[in-house]
Amino acid sequence: MSNRFFQGVVYQLKESIDRTVGVLDENGIVVACSDLIKIGEKHDNVLSFINSTLDTVKDDGYTYKPIVQAPGFEYIAFVEGEDELSEKYISLIVIALANIKQYYDEKFDKNNFVKNVILNNILPGDVYIKARELHFESDAFRVAILIRLSEKSDVSAYDILQSLFPDKQKDFIINVNETDLVLVKEVKDTNDNKDLEKLAKSIIDIISSELYIKAYVGIGTIVDNIRDLPRSFNDAQVALEVGKIFDTENHIMTYDNLGIGRLIYQLPTTLCETFLSEIFKKGSIESLDYETLFTIQKFFENNLNVSETSRKLFVHRNTLVYRLEKIRKLTGLDLRRFDHAIVFKVALMVKRYLVSNPTKF
Amino acid sequence: MAGLSLKGIYKRYPGGVVAVSDFNLEIEDKEFLVLVGPSGCGKSTTLRMIAGLEEITEGELYIGDRIVNDIAPKDRDIAMVFQNYALYPHMTVFDNMAFGLKLRKTPKDEIKRRVEEAAKILDISHLLDRKPKALSGGQRQRVALGRAIVREPKVFLLDEPLSNLDAKLRAQMRTELAKIHHNLETTFIYVTHDQTEAMTMATRIVVMKDGFIQQVDVPNKLYKYPCNMFVAGFIGSPQMNFVDAVLTEKSGDIYLEFKNNSLKLPDSKINDDVKSYVGKEIIFGIRPEHVHDEERYLESMPDYVVEAKVEVTELMGAETFLYLDVDGEKLTAKVAPTTTAKADENIKIVLSLEHVHLFDKETQKTIIN
Repeated sequence: MSNRFFQGVVYQLKESIDRTVGVLDENGIVVACSDLIKIGEKHDNVLSFINSTLDTVKDDGYTYKPIVQAPGFEYIAFVEGEDELSEKYISLIVIALANIKQYYDEKFDKNNFVKNVILNNILPGDVYIKARELHFESDAFRVAILIRLSEKSDVSAYDILQSLFPDKQKDFIINVNETDLVLVKEVKDTNDNKDLEKLAKSIIDIISSELYIKAYVGIGTIVDNIRDLPRSFNDAQVALEVGKIFDTENHIMTYDNLGIGRLIYQLPTTLCETFLSEIFKKGSIESLDYETLFTIQKFFENNLNVSETSRKLFVHRNTLVYRLEKIRKLTGLDLRRFDHAIVFKVALMVKRYLVSNPTKF
Repeated sequence: MAGLSLKGIYKRYPGGVVAVSDFNLEIEDKEFLVLVGPSGCGKSTTLRMIAGLEEITEGELYIGDRIVNDIAPKDRDIAMVFQNYALYPHMTVFDNMAFGLKLRKTPKDEIKRRVEEAAKILDISHLLDRKPKALSGGQRQRVALGRAIVREPKVFLLDEPLSNLDAKLRAQMRTELAKIHHNLETTFIYVTHDQTEAMTMATRIVVMKDGFIQQVDVPNKLYKYPCNMFVAGFIGSPQMNFVDAVLTEKSGDIYLEFKNNSLKLPDSKINDDVKSYVGKEIIFGIRPEHVHDEERYLESMPDYVVEAKVEVTELMGAETFLYLDVDGEKLTAKVAPTTTAKADENIKIVLSLEHVHLFDKETQKTIIN
């Protein structure tokens, strides 16, 4: 589609430059040219040189230069001649074409469109009009996956993800800020969660091995309409935030699997504080030391089984019973009883929620 | 080249989960060390702490003689290969291997040299112009390894890199990896839950469970002298048979009594520790290859013969597995494929007690190997 824009600029340039001017696509085929007969011709010799230098190349009576001097360039400008003047011309032509390309990208780029949709920067009524204009399928299963890097990287995670998901019609990579990226991916259907987790693992592994930094992935809900994409993105954000509070050892959080954590995350903090003060006598939860909390954690992990927990903790069964009794005296909750155990579990989660003071989405 | 030293390493998560506890280990330069254990035992967390992708809660980690707890992963001179490796689909093998170096602005000549050298080591020089979709699973895995090799690190960290391959390819790649380790002469730290991988590739194995090291040793010793029931059961396939028994003493000899059977322990298996268990319940372990049904064993070891009912037979080609019932105790035997035993048949078997392992029933620690 940008070829039409290039052709317009090339025609204007023809007026001032008395030489053939044109544009090649990434396969070396002429897509716009001041000499219309040459459109469709192939200049593939030059591709390998351009790929290695990403700068001006002279070959077979022409001077070439990629329009964007970066790996993965899409277009190469060319001008007739290999003299010094050609070099000057090509530099000016590239400036003009790069500007028109940027204008085109901003106006017609699908990536930009998806970015505006998920960030709610476009009016709901305009979404379908724009989608039609861009030949963007509105009714397709898509999911927003939020990728959060643990720190800024001097190497671009965007380039890595773009290389990993090169299908520019179905996968869209969006830079949200220095550490957050979003992958909006077309999927087969709504039951794709297992595949998505596998995909998330691949993303984490590739970022770890290429960038040497930790990454966390939040998987939103799968939606079937472009209108719902902002919700999927919001869910991905919630998934990461809830995971940060309740599931610190996990790097992948799926919104659909957040469980009770999601419920607590949505509670007002005042209600949570009231709940804690009702359940525990003043200060009693604070009086539990690390060892006691660790014992409780293991007791829950082992399904309230005293023998199994004592074996895992390398302590005698009676020692564990003594610790559980101590907890009962302090809190009034007997963790061997299921209903008391669940109250304690929820209270611990509420406590963590209050301490972490999360961002609400 | 570098060795590593892990001193009193702990990993505790804010929620109270302790993934790794008191991990102490010296890893020699050029060693192929395998961390093995069931899922959730802390092996991957340990590897990620070495990589710097997880913070160490407590303890010290040295690479060479440099403490690296607070050193950024990229400055630790390591390279990682993970289970869920993904290749860049629209790039050639060469570009896939060169990508990381290009991102780091490595000079082109240097990239070319490193990629070609790595391709030679991995035997994929002829594939450099191909795209990933034109490669087999094993070739893709080699490219993933190539991406790590081109970085020329001091230490390679591999987290279950073969688990996405089918069984046949995995067996092939095991040999390849051992060869690559030999050629590179670099330290490899490899994580797997597959004991076969550990046994076939490692120069030393670390068996982990619940965040703790259970035993560290060379494969052969680990197999022959497990320090507890967990290691004994985890290493070896099919796994070791465990039977509840009582040690008794009759006229100076010690007997292993289980169900209706009473077998005399050979002198080589008696020491003061074993004697202290007389009259107590213990667990004995015997590997399937030490349970025999051939006539020559029945004749040469009449003291160790017991009756068993064959439940299932499995012909594996080079051997046959017999799944047996000895008075309600389930045993597996690995016997010659020429065996005539059939399902539902009552047969006589020999438990070769020269190879028996005795375990404390309470602590599950080994009494004698």
